[in-house]
This record gives sequence, C-alpha cells and structure tokens, in this order.
Amino acid sequence: MTKRLLGAGLALALAIGVAACGSSSSSGGGGGTISGAGSTFAQPIISQWGSELKKSDGLTVNYNSIGSGGGIAQFQANTVDFGDTDSAMSDEEIEVADKNGATVHVPIVFGAVTVSYNLPGVESGLKLDGETIANVFLGKITKWNDPAIAKLNPGVELPDTSITVVHRSDESGTTALFTQFLDETNKQWHEQVGTDKTVKWPTGTGANGNEGVAGTVAQTEGAIGYVELAYALQNEFTTAAVQNKAGKFVTPTLESTKAASEGVKFPPDLRFSAINASTAPKAYPIASGTFVIVYEDLCKAGKSEETAKNVVTFLDYGLGEGQQVSEKLDYAGLSPELLKASQAKVNGLKCNGKPIEAS
Amino acid sequence: MEAGTQQTTGGGRSLDRSPLSRLPDRLVRVGLTAISAAILVLLGYFFIKLTIEAKPVFEKFGVLNFVFDNNWDVSKGIYGALPLVVGTLITSALALVMGVPIAVSVALFLTELCPRRLRGSLTILVDLLAAVPSVVYGLWAFFFLIPKLKPAEQWFADTFHFIPFVATENVAGPNYFIAGLILAIMILPIVSAISREVLSTVPPDQKEAALALGSTRWEMIRTAMLPYARRGIVGGSMLGLGRAIGETIAVTIVIGDNPILGHSVFDQGYTLAAVIANEFNEAASDPLHRAALIGAGLVLFVLTLLVNSIARLMVLRSERQGARPMTAAAAEGL
Amino acid sequence: MEVGALQPRGPLPPVSGRRRRADRFARSLLWLATGVAIVPLVLVIYYILSKGLGALSVEFFTTDPTGDFFGAQGGVKSAILGTIEIVGAAALVAVPLGVGVALYLTEYGGDGRLARAVRFFVDVMTGVPSIVFGLFIYLTLVLAGVGGSSFAGWKGSAALALLMLPVVTRSAEVVLQLVPGSLREAALALGAPRWKVIVRVILPSAASGIVTGSLLAIARAAGETAPLLFTATIVKATTFNLNEPMNSLPAQIFQDLKQPNDELVQRAWGGAITLVAMILIVTLIAKLIQRRSRVQGAP
Repeated sequence: MTKRLLGAGLALALAIGVAACGSSSSSGGGGGTISGAGSTFAQPIISQWGSELKKSDGLTVNYNSIGSGGGIAQFQANTVDFGDTDSAMSDEEIEVADKNGATVHVPIVFGAVTVSYNLPGVESGLKLDGETIANVFLGKITKWNDPAIAKLNPGVELPDTSITVVHRSDESGTTALFTQFLDETNKQWHEQVGTDKTVKWPTGTGANGNEGVAGTVAQTEGAIGYVELAYALQNEFTTAAVQNKAGKFVTPTLESTKAASEGVKFPPDLRFSAINASTAPKAYPIASGTFVIVYEDLCKAGKSEETAKNVVTFLDYGLGEGQQVSEKLDYAGLSPELLKASQAKVNGLKCNGKPIEAS
Repeated sequence: MEAGTQQTTGGGRSLDRSPLSRLPDRLVRVGLTAISAAILVLLGYFFIKLTIEAKPVFEKFGVLNFVFDNNWDVSKGIYGALPLVVGTLITSALALVMGVPIAVSVALFLTELCPRRLRGSLTILVDLLAAVPSVVYGLWAFFFLIPKLKPAEQWFADTFHFIPFVATENVAGPNYFIAGLILAIMILPIVSAISREVLSTVPPDQKEAALALGSTRWEMIRTAMLPYARRGIVGGSMLGLGRAIGETIAVTIVIGDNPILGHSVFDQGYTLAAVIANEFNEAASDPLHRAALIGAGLVLFVLTLLVNSIARLMVLRSERQGARPMTAAAAEGL
Repeated sequence: MEVGALQPRGPLPPVSGRRRRADRFARSLLWLATGVAIVPLVLVIYYILSKGLGALSVEFFTTDPTGDFFGAQGGVKSAILGTIEIVGAAALVAVPLGVGVALYLTEYGGDGRLARAVRFFVDVMTGVPSIVFGLFIYLTLVLAGVGGSSFAGWKGSAALALLMLPVVTRSAEVVLQLVPGSLREAALALGAPRWKVIVRVILPSAASGIVTGSLLAIARAAGETAPLLFTATIVKATTFNLNEPMNSLPAQIFQDLKQPNDELVQRAWGGAITLVAMILIVTLIAKLIQRRSRVQGAP
C-alpha cells in the first residue's frame, strides 16, 4: 500500500514537472540574459527597465539587490555582468577590480533621500537645515518644539512631542548619502560620527532597509527618519524642506531631484557625488546619482560577445527611453550634460578592443 | 539484561558465519565510518577556511580585544564585539528560559494528557510553527507584536523596576525581550518535537510501575518520565539553542540593531548573527570589515560550543548523582 | 518487568489533598502551555493570510515575475519550482548523510576519537547562522566558478545541505540513542548480523523521530534566504537546470518585501503563504507514509 502511495506521488511529481517544463521558456532562449547586483536604491529602476526590455527585445535582466557594497564586491569578483552602486567606487576598490580591466562608471538616474516625519498636525514642508537635522540625529534636539526648529519655521504650531530618531541598521548607500549631507553641514557630526554606509548612530532606533525605516516612522508618532523618495511617496509621508547650498528650503520632488545635478562639476571618470553640491536654487540637496559599473572591455573581462552587446543594449535603453520610465517610478532622469557624458561612456565600451554595436 | 537470561533457539547456525556473510556488516561499518570521516573533513575545512578569512581582523586587534572590546564602529574601522556577544547571550538565554519550559510542557501534554482525537492535529499545529520562514516571524513581530506589547513592557519595567536589568525609562520598540520572545517561538517546534519523541519512548512499564505504586499523574511524569528523558530533552534544547544563537533575519528586524550594551532587557541591542546579516552585503568589498564579520561568525561557533559542552557536562553530572533516578524519586513521591 | 515481585504492604495510603491539588495544578499548566504555544501560530497564520491572500490567483502560481512595477507583475512560479528543486536536492543529500553519521555515532563510534571529533564539530555547526553557510559556499564554490558557473542552484543546495546536516544528525542521534539496548541485544542474540539489526530493528523503531527531525530541518532550510542570496542568487525565469542561477521563494519574498510598491509587497506575503502551505503538505505526506508503514507491522 505504501509502495502504491509512493508510486502515485512520484507520478504526480513527474506530471507537474513535465507540465511546468512545457509551459515555461528556458531562461537562455530568446534575447539573452544578463545579470547584475548591487544597490537596493536602483532596484525598482533596473527591474522596470528589465521588464520593458523583455517585452521589446526579449532580453532578460536579472538583478540581485544585495546593496552597493555587495554590487562592488561581485563586480570585482567578476561574477556578474554589471554592478550598481550609490557611491562611486574608491581608488582602492578600483584597484582591486583592475585585474579584470578598467572600470567604467555610468550614472543612470538620480534619487532623493527624504527626511520624513510623523507629526500629526504638521504638514509637509517643515523647514530644516543640515545643522538642525544633524543635531536631531545627534540627540541634541529632543523635542519637536525645540527653539532651533521653531526658529526656522515661524508660524508653524510645533507640538511638545519627543522626537524618535529612526535610522538604518543595515549598511546602505542611502545611509552614505544622508550622512554625507550631515557631515558637510554640521561640524560636530563631522567630528563625532562621520559619513559611511553605516555609522555609529548617537541615538535612535534602527530598522532594516528603507521599508523598515518607513514602517517604523509610520508606526511611531513623533518619529523622524530618512528614506528614499519612492518609499516616502508610497507611505504618503510628510517630508521636510531641506536647505540647499543656495540657501533655499526645497522639498524632495522629481524636479528638485533633477535640479540637483545642475551645475555640478563632473570629473572625467564621472565619479561624483551631488550631495549638497548644486548651487541651483531649486535643487534638493540630499540627492545624488546611482552608478552602473562595468568593465571598459567586457570581452577581455571574460564576457561573451553576446553578453557585451546585451549590456550595451540595456544601458542604451536606460539612458534613452529608460529616463522617462524612471520618472514614473519617482526617480529623476539625468540633467542634459550629465546624460551626454554618461552616454559617451557607454559608447566607449569595447569588446576585445572593438567598439560594440548594440543590436 | 534479558537477552542473556533467555534461551537462544538459533543454535549452531548463528555461531558459525562465513566470512562472506560478514561482508555486508563490514561494508556498512566502513561505509558509515567513511561518511563520518568525510563529514569531519568537510566541517574542518569549513572552519579552517573561515578562520583564514577572519585572520586580518584578529591580526589587527588581537583576539581578546576583538571579543571583549565594547566598540563596534564600522565607519572608523574599529571592531570590538562585546555588545554583540552580550546581545547574543541575552537573547538566547531569554529564548531558552521562555521557550524550553513551554516546549517540554507541550510535549508532555501531547504524549500524556491530550485526548486521542486531538493528538494528531495538535501535533501538526505545533510542528507547523517550524514552517513559517524566519523573515515572516521577524516582520510579524515588528508590525504586530512590538506595538501590542510595548505598553505591557513599559508597565512591567515600571512595576518591577527593582529587579536588575528590568528598569528603563523608555521601553524601546525593538529590544532584547522581543528578540528573545520571537526566538522562543522559533525554537519551540524543534525542542517540542524532540522532547515528544523522547518522552514517547519511555518504557510503559516504568510509567505503569509508578502509577501502580500510587503516584498521581503528575508525580508519575515527574519521577518516571522526566528523569528518563532528561538527556534527550537537553539534546533537543541544545538544538533549539543553536537555532537561537544563529538566527539571523528575524532577530535583525526586532532587536534594534544598536551595538551598545543595553542596561535592561527592554533596551535595544545587537547580536553577532544580526550584524553579519546587516553588514555583509556592503562589507563584501572591504577586506577588513569582511574579516571582522567572519570573525563574528567564529565567535558564534565558540559560543555554541561552550554552551553545548556545559550542557553535556550538566547532564552527565546529574546522571551520575541520581544514578537510579527511579527509586530515589519514587520514594520521595510516596 | 513484574510489579508483582514487590510484596504489597496492605492497602495503599490515600492520595493526599495536597498531592491531588499539585497534580491538578500541573495538569492545567500543561494545558495552558499548549494553548500558549498555539497562540502565536494562529496569530502569525492569520497575519500572513490577511496580508497575502489577495495576491493568490491562478496567475500567481503559473507565471514568472516580470520585474514590471506597473501592470502585469507576474506571479512566483519560478520561485516555487526553484524552492522545490533546491530544497529537494539539499534534502536528498543531507538526510541520508545525516542519518548515516548519526548511525555511526550511536552504533560504531561510541566514545572513540573520530566520534568525539565528529560530535564536537556537528554540535558547533548547529549554532552557525545560515548566512555563514552561504558565505562559505560563495567563497569556495561561487568565486572559483566550480562546475562552470558562478551562481548555480546546486550551490544553493550545498549551502542548505550544510545547514540541515547538523540538525538532522543531532536529532537522529538523540532518537537513536533511545532505542533500548535490550532490543538490539535481542536481535543480535537471535543471530542477526549487525547491519540487519540496524536496518530491520533500529531504524524502524527510530523512524518516526528521524522523520520528524528531518522534516524540521527541511522546513528550516526551505525558509532561509541568506544562504541563497550569494549562491543561487535570484532570477526571474523558471529553470530546471541546477547548474544555473535559480529563483527561490525566500529570495523572491525577501526582494518583494523591500519594494515601494504595495502589490509587490502583497505578492511577498502571498509567497509566504505558499511556502508555509508547501511545508505543511510535505509534513502531512511524510506523516501519512509513516502511519501507513507503521500499520503494516514494523516494530
């Protein structure tokens, strides 16, 4: 009896297997597959571009969002076709990758890190500058009606609620961007904490991922946290208007994010950070780009000619139609000069010395 | 020993077996030994490889400093893992204290008290606790448990503030206690399942003897079943503890991930496993940081080993002391 | 064992009120404990059902994720099949090996040096976080490109098998140790060779415990994300080639949960429901087979 049951079970499993086999297309067919890994910031964009490319070209893009550091590591180890990172690679990191060839940074989109808060009765656009935000995150300002905040917001009714600081517990490029802003605008933060993908937070509660911080802020009255724009919009958070280099208080929107790349000087290798850099009056200061990293000569780095072509197709798409697609996902496209510089980088990619003809 | 006192009926044939018939025996013996040796080699290689990867951080700070310094500061490149070690110990201890008694009680219930019709379904329900992925436990605790329990925790901290490690002004949302609680839930199925298996193998005559001598149900459990099952229950608890020590994702979500030494169980903390989960992705490209995280993993191994050894010692000692647990306790029960 | 060997001393003393109360108290505690244990399960199941039931549909089970944020986001077919393949392969390796090692430890190893060393390492391994297994496989198999691929489903299986092995071994050992010595000796005294004693007497009597331990290990492995992120990685398409990167439910759930998109988050919860259901089904099938084989008269 047992044997019959086992036999039936096996037959069933086989049947499912055959049925599934028949109904799916194998992963290697059609327009090819490329794989990438890196920043979670860029995941929605790359994912969306991938799905559009699958429909138009049959090209499959697999992306493992394990964080910028993970992306860099896998790029260095050459286990992926491209990586993505929110902060440009450092000289030491590039040195490690040199064994496979020269590294090329291709900025693809700009994103904003919002300062979101949960304060019933207070609307979006509370004016804060870097100095004050840093003091909150340092634990020096503990109540919402603190004079420092009130000074920047005359006329706004600030409740006597305690501020609950929420920060990231996992390492992240988002943290790197946010702390870079604090580092540049508040001396004590610079001396005591510094900037990195993860820092020793002087105060506050930790949460995992953008979605963790968003969840905590949503649940806790009086909370303040930093999340990417897409998450702030998804949760309908009230966000602060942060003071930029031109002295204006700007809320994070698509336009203000795009403006963040105006007037920023890009080095020839495009390894820049736009945090607090643009002097444009409409620029949101806590915004910067995310970079796709590829080897300049993909085939010398061990990729097949087809893979090289597909990577270029992917990047061409991203810097072309993909720019409008990004806006639908609340990521800002690149400013015209940056876009041109980025496209030039893609055109400079080679396969065994020869330029790549994208299909 | 019964086999010795009974008459063997097999006679001559069982005594002279040809070498050929001994072959399967030898094959099995050699085979199993080979498997075990191979596993040993694999595990040994596992440790050696990880130790090599972790060397940079031990060379830079020294092993003792790495384990006992209270300063985990990634951006400055300083790696002192004490808060992590303490956090791991606290949460695991909480998990054991809360989880094992309940797990063993459930096992006892299912083997002794449960009405027969309910037994099958209740058993499956308890085992089902193991089917929930850890990330789901973490998120459920984060979105549901934490807000619900916070007022109760604050009340507890205020009322029982004289107990050490309880008082705190502001009960943090994610904290040691919640982490311990969720770990207790996660280790429940395995401790319970093993305890159940162990308890169900208690020889019925032992149980009947106790009952026949007039003990109540509970006394029978206490004197005839638990001592017999003690070793197995401890073994099951050690497996549960291993899970608690090494659980990564669920703890990461609910402990607050703050590399400080909390003063109270209601403060935020951090554990060795959580730090690896949180930081590894980004650390992958920084050799010293990566070494530090793998070093944290090695510390975990040592911790597990220490706790397991202590448990084994305790069991051995208690077995030696209560060499005839049945008689001594039986006499006490009457 | 004959209880009658004891000389009765006359009528037994009546059970005192104190003892009766203690008995009742203890019994109610046991009932309570069981209730307490079931409560979180009910709450969790209710929670994931409420969050993810909306995602379940025919499409959910039959289409692959598309990566699209708007419009057709697809289902999680590749994740479901991937989990079955990866965990299945891991179990096929870990369960026999684990039981084999446990048999060695209880039947042949005793207290010898090899046995002690194996026990030592296996004990320590039970406490290793799952992510470390993934890292180990990443460092040894993925980076080196073993098998001609960097990321591959079978490497994910390897990481999961490493995770399962100590649990299967230890739980099997606990259960095997409980097989009464008298049973072994009786079989041996009847002239059965050692291996037959193992196969016909010891394994069947420990079978239920071994199956339970293995199922728990499988359940644990099926829900783990971290070991897979660095080994099998995450892909969208379904594949039956274990030497290729492969999707899995935990990886898909993990990724979907992070998205700033409510439908994707709901899909993640749907995935969680699916995973729990799959493990439940496997558990039920195994218990059914066990019951049938027991009824057929195995000791």
